[in-house]
Parts: sequence; structure tokens; C-alpha cells
Amino acid sequence: MSQVHEGAAAPSGAHARGADGSRDLRLTGLTKEYATFTAVKSLDLVVPQGEFFALLGPSGCGKTTTLRMVAGLDTPTSGTIHLGDTEITFEKPYRRPVNTVFQNYALFPHLNIAKNVAFGLERRGIKNTRQQVADMLELVELTSQAHKKPTQMSGGQQQRVALARALINKPEVLLLDEPLGALDLKLRRGMQLELKRIQTEVGLTFVHVTHDQEEAMTMADTIAVMNQGVIEQMGAPSELYENPRTTFVANFLGQSNLIAGEIEGRDGDHVKVRVQGAVASVPGDRAHSDSGKGWLGIRPEKVLIAEAGTPIDAPGDVITGGYVTDVSFVGVSTQYSVMMPWGQELTVFEQNTGARSMLPVGTKVDISWRPEFAFLLDASQDAKAGIEDD
Amino acid sequence: MTSTAGVPPVSTDDTTAAKPRGRKLTGYWLILPGAVWLLLFFVIPFYSLVASSLFDPKGSVLTGYEMTWHVGNYVDAFNQYKGQLGRSLLYAGLATLTCLVVGYVLAYAIAFKAGRWKNLMLVLVIAPFFTSFLLRTLSWKLILADDGWVVGVAQAIHLTDVLNIIGLTTTDDRLLATPFAVIAGLTYNFLPFMVLPLYASLEKVDIRLIEAAGDLYASPMRGFFKVTFPLSLPGVVAGTLLTFIPAAGDYVNAQLLGSTNTKMIGNSIQSLFTTQGDYATAGALSVILMVIIVAAVMAYVRTAGTEELV
Amino acid sequence: MAGVDRRTVFKGAGGAAALGLSAVALRYGFNTPDQKQDPSTLVAKDRSAQDKTLVFSNWPEYIDEDDGKYVSTLTQFERETGISVRYTPDVNDNNEFFAKVKNQLGSGTSSKRDLFALTDWMAARMIQVGWIQKLDAAKVPNLHANIIDSLKSPAWDPKRQYSAPWQSGLTGIAYNKAKVGEIKSFEELLTRKDLKGRISLLTEMRDTMGFLVMIGGGDPENFSDDEWQAAIDLLKKTRSDGQVRSFSGNEYVQDLASGNILACEAWSGDIANAGDENLVWVPPEEGIMIWADNMLVPNLATHQDNAEKWINYYYEPEVAAKLAAYNSYICPVKGAQAAMEKVDPDQVDNELIFPTDKTLSQTHRFMALDEATMRTYEGDYADVTGA
Repeated sequence: MSQVHEGAAAPSGAHARGADGSRDLRLTGLTKEYATFTAVKSLDLVVPQGEFFALLGPSGCGKTTTLRMVAGLDTPTSGTIHLGDTEITFEKPYRRPVNTVFQNYALFPHLNIAKNVAFGLERRGIKNTRQQVADMLELVELTSQAHKKPTQMSGGQQQRVALARALINKPEVLLLDEPLGALDLKLRRGMQLELKRIQTEVGLTFVHVTHDQEEAMTMADTIAVMNQGVIEQMGAPSELYENPRTTFVANFLGQSNLIAGEIEGRDGDHVKVRVQGAVASVPGDRAHSDSGKGWLGIRPEKVLIAEAGTPIDAPGDVITGGYVTDVSFVGVSTQYSVMMPWGQELTVFEQNTGARSMLPVGTKVDISWRPEFAFLLDASQDAKAGIEDD
Repeated sequence: MTSTAGVPPVSTDDTTAAKPRGRKLTGYWLILPGAVWLLLFFVIPFYSLVASSLFDPKGSVLTGYEMTWHVGNYVDAFNQYKGQLGRSLLYAGLATLTCLVVGYVLAYAIAFKAGRWKNLMLVLVIAPFFTSFLLRTLSWKLILADDGWVVGVAQAIHLTDVLNIIGLTTTDDRLLATPFAVIAGLTYNFLPFMVLPLYASLEKVDIRLIEAAGDLYASPMRGFFKVTFPLSLPGVVAGTLLTFIPAAGDYVNAQLLGSTNTKMIGNSIQSLFTTQGDYATAGALSVILMVIIVAAVMAYVRTAGTEELV
Repeated sequence: MAGVDRRTVFKGAGGAAALGLSAVALRYGFNTPDQKQDPSTLVAKDRSAQDKTLVFSNWPEYIDEDDGKYVSTLTQFERETGISVRYTPDVNDNNEFFAKVKNQLGSGTSSKRDLFALTDWMAARMIQVGWIQKLDAAKVPNLHANIIDSLKSPAWDPKRQYSAPWQSGLTGIAYNKAKVGEIKSFEELLTRKDLKGRISLLTEMRDTMGFLVMIGGGDPENFSDDEWQAAIDLLKKTRSDGQVRSFSGNEYVQDLASGNILACEAWSGDIANAGDENLVWVPPEEGIMIWADNMLVPNLATHQDNAEKWINYYYEPEVAAKLAAYNSYICPVKGAQAAMEKVDPDQVDNELIFPTDKTLSQTHRFMALDEATMRTYEGDYADVTGA
């Protein structure tokens, strides 16, 4: 499969490199306004060359519009798009070294698989496409299907054809618009790994638009979480998950318990927060507010739970007075809902290590967590932002 | 074509003999309405036509006709009317081609560019059907009148000279009573039959496929010829058939807009049936026309690669 | 039966049976019978006395209508006789009407009509095959007393025993005097250089060929095959010279008025009704073709008596004058011209209604053709007209 990559050396060399020689994708002040609403608001973004980049957000957040502007299918109201030093903001789509894997694949139904894959090469006047098409079909493991029509194939196969059809052009940036959205869960998991493998192999910049946070975290080097036309937070998946900066990110990426508190102020490396009578301290780099009211956030799997009175192996304060209102057993773990004395239900995930049997509903419990796992957010934000209705 | 009438859509596998009799017959009952329709409106008229094409030509309307397997009618009819036959196919072909070009542009505009005017434009395409076919054709006599402004403009821009050179008009610098007028009339009358199927298939073309073509380095022009046009082929095929078949058999346009030198096969068949009362030749000519059209259609559909239509 | 299963045998047998059935159906199923009838055996019991109605099929716009104080001839007839008339204008074309009644009259059943009006040649054809009842001469005295001489004895019904002209017309030449000089003869029409490509002739074979026979010196009412051939050849030559622009049914008036054609073969009534003073109808020097639409009583008509009353009524000069004043066709009734003084004095001298004796003396009718000759002639004519 490496032969594919050898052939791929050409495109990047053909274009002017950035100041540091890179071909990063840079969006600057990118805005798209429609008659009744603004889809993308002054977006600034740099996607380093060769990265697997995910744009994550709920539907309507502007991620697809952003993608379409990069592809040239929509024209920005203002702002610029650069590839390295080349501005491509208003370049015609067919003149951009960018290809797209469309949400519904958009395979040409009148052409067979081989012809679909060869389409881009042929349009650029490349005569002998046979070998490249064969290599590409081999890469996506569809060699034996070359002469079928798209409608004769399964969703997963079509998805791979769409990928091959885009990749064969060795674009500098490959855009993927919810590429796995139409696949069932099992197939989706498989394809996620497959996509990641291919990206690693060909080494191109992938910009992947999705609303599936798990998908984004599985594949991406960097995730940008988008909401209402702006980027809320950007970073490596673990960074985003462990240290969300907004309630939206905290809720959209995984789940969070957000407990109202009064920030008492900075104390060295930590910020102290008074929460329901107890005082918690949050590491400074995880505190995104240092005065007034705040949300103290803790991920459910970081919360430790024990029957009231039994000791908990945690250095932080133990909060007592809760009782279990709901238990769901999900195999690897058990999910508890715990009603706290101040009337808030917290969610707790506990690994099924087998050390203790499940706590039945009504059990009085104590909970605790390690202070370094908590994070602190500004209370002016909606605690429910980013919680999907379903 | 006729064989489909006799084939029941149920399995008559021998092993199912034990099945209740009623259920076995259900299939036959279900196709009965279709079969009766086919029999009444296709099989019987078709047999009648074939029978009259084999009538003894010595008969007449009043003395009666007898079917004597007189195959010679075909030879006579073909030899006598091959001129009109060829002309019909030529005129119908040219009219179909013109319809295709004009109709495609129109259908494309309606499907992709009309926006909220789409429905209004579709209504306008069908609007001519609200007046009679005959009246519409007659009105072209006024439009193309020798002293009218259309002819004046055509002369001024030397269109008439060009048409003369390619043989679509005569040397008198007029448009009426020329092949041009007949072809124009056919084009006008059958244009909606081209536009509607074209629109239907263009409207179904997924706009995202056109975007995908653009994304894959196809300029709008290349994208059209590589994606939009191939995807609209079912409409092109349906439209050309709906235009060509009736146009080839039309006689009104040639009668009203043409001259003695532009008569089409429809005029001959009409004259043979009504004025001359020569059922044998008329029948033979009708069958010949039908065979030619069916053969042409099959060849065309095969080339166009849309076998699903047949 | 080795190697051949039952189904294949069934299929083969079925196919052969279908083929055989098809052949039989083709051979016997669609023959058309001899249409000749004997009118003397197809007389219906006359119910005129007890059922005072009359069913009459005529050409459209061919009769006057009640208008304010004006009482139409039809209403007047109904008042005088107490017969109610079902007048249907459903004759648009001789051939079309022929096809409409062919199956009934040809098989000796009733056409559900008591009376219809058809042009000479079609009337002749129907009388020839015995579809038409004889009129009782005693019941239509006005017809025999008042019919104008030029229509009195056509070759196909010399004593007017079967038919009575409703209206008559002349076929001649018309030209647009605003655009072209006077045209006197049919020959001029076919040869004058300034008319090249700007004339039209009628698709009606008998009208046009009558003139061509006359140009060759023949008599349209009695000509030989050679004379016919010469006439056809002349027409062919005229066509190949590009003199004729088109052969038209009845849309020539529009072409003449709009200048698409300068002159044409035309029916007098059309030009009279066009109301365009630039359009002039002239009787050609060679002679004029005269035609009539004739009232006929078909076999098994149940109200022949009423029909005869109707015919007799319309041959009263005053009634005929009223009808003619409306129609502007040639009135077939003697004495109508005098009666016109009372009806509409302006029309008394209208030569398109009351041609002069000199004009009438130049009129010719086309001879009656038997079925086979008719087909040959129509075929020859269609060859030239391009159909």
C-alpha cells in the first residue's frame, strides 16, 4: 500500500508552501451570513498539515457550512481561507486541491465503481488511470467490485468508494462530511479504524465533520468543538475531555456533573470553591473562573461511591447524605443516580471490579473524588448547554 | 408485445397441484382487467389493421373487402409512398432534434434556475394544450404569413437565404408552405412532450452529484456533460420517443403549413382511408410505418443504454 | 417424449394454437361485407302521423336562426305543421359522415335519421348502393315545380326522384384585387407568371379536375379516360412548375386575405361570406363547376312523410328567399328572386345568390363515378396533391 503514498508526493510539492514551508489550512475571520441567521461567526482556525482534524458539534452549529466553504461549494460573507500561502477563498471548487467525501457519498449512479474512482483524475486530463484506480481500490479493499454500479453495493462499501474517489486525487486537504453517519453502529466502529489507518498511510490532512463525539475522539488528532457558529474549544481529545472550558464542551463531550458553588479565590496553584458547605480545591489550570459563582464539574467516572459510613479511598472531602435513586447495570460498569442533600441528582459510574456488590436503590451513600480531576467553570453559562435531547 | 397478455403472473409449478383451486386462479383474475384492456384497445385494432393490410386490393368500401393474404400490398405501398415515408422520418427527426435542444434548455432552466417560478413555468409549458391542436397550428399561418414581420425579419437577417441553401425553404423567400414551416409546426406542437419528461428527470438529479463533480475537478461544463446529462438520459429517451413517434405520423402540420412537396406519410394514409377508400394500401402503409418506428425505437433505446424503459 | 418435458409441449401447442387462431381471425374476422342494399325492401313503417318529429343532419352554419323579432324558417315550419324538428349540424365532411353511417346503412339497419344533406358525388354514391329512399313526387310538388334548371337533372338522379338540393354553390376563381390584376380564366390561374407559387387549388378532386378537363376541351360531365389522363398530366406539370403553393380544404380564404396567395380556386359562398371587398369571385371563362348539397331520406327512416313536408316547404319561394338571404349560397329555387323583394331588397341583385341565366348556362357538374373509377381518380389526384 505504500506505493500509493509514493505517488502522492506530487501534489504538495506543486503548491507554494507557507512561511515555514508547511501547507496548513488556515481560516481567518471566516463568516457566513444568510438572510435570517449567521451560520459561521468570524471563525479562526489552523489545521496543521497532515493532521486528522475533527470539527465536532450538534446539527446546525455551522460545521458543515465551514466545510463547504473550504470545499468552495459555498462562498464566505467575509474572511479568508488559505492553504499555505495560497489564498483559495474564492477559488472555484474544481480548481482547489481539496476533495470531499460527502455525507451521502454522492456517488455517480450512472458510472461503475472504477469509473467513479477515476472521475477526478480524468477531469484533470490524466490519461492512464488504470493503475492508480487499481491501487486505490486495493487500499479500500474493493478490488473485486470495480465493475459494479454504486446501487449494487452496501452502505459501507459505498462509503469506501467515496473515500477512494476523493483520495485518488491526492488532495492537500480531504474533507469528510459526516462520512459514517449513514452506517450502522458496528460498521461505523470498523470504518473509524479503517479511516484512521488510511489517513496514517497516506498522510494527508483530513478535516472530519461529525456530531458524534465518540467518533471524533476515536479518530482525530485535534478536535474543534463548534457551537452556534463559533469554536468553543479546540485541542487533543483527552485534553478536551479532561479539561473542558465551557459547560457546552463539558456536556457535549461525555457527561458531567455540574455543581453550583461560590468561588472563594485563588490559593497558590489552586482555586478554592465552597460547594454545599464543603470546600473543594481545583488545580489552577483547570479553573476557568476565579471569582463569584461557579460550576464545579466532575466526570461521573471520577466520582467514587460507597455505602454511608464506609471509608472511601480518596484524598478529597467526603460528601455525605446522599441516597441512590436509580441503578443501571451496563456490563463493564454500573451507573448510579444519587440524590444529594441539596436536591441535585449526580451521576456516578463505577467500574464493575467485583470488589463489592451493587448498591440497591434507596441505599444511603457517601461520595468523593480526587480534587485534581475536578474543573471549574463560570456560572454565567447554562449548566444544560450541550446536553442532547435524545 | 402481445404475448404478455397470456402469461399468468403466478407459478404454475406442477408440485403445487394440491393447492386449492381458487388460489391458483387468483393470478388470472388479477390480470383480467389489464388483459381485456389490451385486447380491446391494442390486439383487436392491431389485428384489424394487419388484416386490412392483407385485403384483396380489388375490393372497395362499398363492394366489401376480403382478406386474401395479399402481401403484395406491402410492396406496392412501399414503392409508391417511400418518398413520403422518408420525408416523414426526416421531418420528425429534425423536429425531435430541435425539440431536444430547445426543450433541454427550457427544462434545465425550470428544474434548476426557476426557483419559485417553477410551477408557473410548468403551467406555461402545458398552457397551449388549453386550445385546440388545429387552432394552434392554424395560428402559425398568421405568424409565418408571407407579408408578416417574422418573414420580414428572417429576410433581413438573411435567415431565409441560409434556409434556402440547406433546402428547408424554397427560393421564394417565404416560410409558409415549406419544409421549414412543417418542421417548425411539429416542433412547436410536440415541444411539451419533450419538456415534461426532461424536466421530470432533471428535477430528480441530485444537486449534490453536481457539487461532487465540481469537487472532483469538473468545470460546470464538464460536470454537465459527465454527470447531469447522463443522469437525464431517461428523460431524453422518453422525450424523444414521445416527440418522434407522434410527429412521424402527424398529418395536420403538413396539411396546414406545408405544400404539395412536404406531404408526410400521415397525409397519405389519411387520404387513402377516407378520400380514396383504399383500405388495403392504407393498412399496409400503416403497418410499414409502425414497423419502421418500432425498429427505430428499439435501436435507439439500445444505443442510449436505457433498456429499463422498454 | 425423451428430453422434452410437459411444459415445453404445452408451450409449443399453445403457441401453435395462438398462431392458428390469429390466422383464422385475420382471414375471416375483419373482412368488410358488401354494402349494397335494396331500398325497396328497407321501407320502415311511417310514423309521421302519430309521431310528429323529424331528424335532420346538416352542415354547420347552414340555416337561419331566430333572432329577436326575426322568426327563422325552421320555427315557422314547426308552427305551420306542428312537427318538431331535431336539427343536428353534424355533417362536417362528406367522407366523415359517410364513415359515420356506413355500418348501419351498409348492413341494412337504421341510421336513426330521417334526412341528411350531402354533396352531389356522395349523394350519388349512396343512391348507387341503394341506401336512399325514393321521394313521393306527389308530396313534393314544389321541388319539381321550382327547382332551377341547372340543377334539375344531374346524371346520377336525372328526375330528382331521390334528392332535393338544400343549397347550391359555384366553384370558380377568387383573387385579391388589391394585390393582383384581373384573372379571367382557369388557364390563366395555372400559367400566369405573376401568380407563380402564389395560388392554391381545392383538395376536392371533382372541383379542381372539372376545370382541368375543361381546359383540355372536355366536358366534366362526360369525359374519356384519355381526357382525364391529359388533365392529370396538366395538373402535374403545373405543380412541378411551382405554380401551385398548396391544395387546401377550406382555409384558403385566410391565405387569400393575408396575401399568402394572390388567387385561388374558390367556392362562391366562401368569398361572399368573407366580407372582404378586396376578394373577388369570378366565373372562369372555361365554364363554372356547380355543386349542391342534397337532402336525402335514408333507408328505414321512420318519418319520411315529415321529411317530404320539410322539402316541399323549403321549395316555397319565400322560404327559400329567407334562407338564401342568410346563407349567401346559391338558391336552388325559382321564384325566390322575386320573393326576395319582400325579404331583403338589397339581395335581389346579388349574383352570388341569384346568378344570371348567362352564368348558369355555363355551369357544369362532375360526372357520376363508379366505385372503381372513383378510387383510380382519387388516387391519381392524391398523387399530384402529394398526399
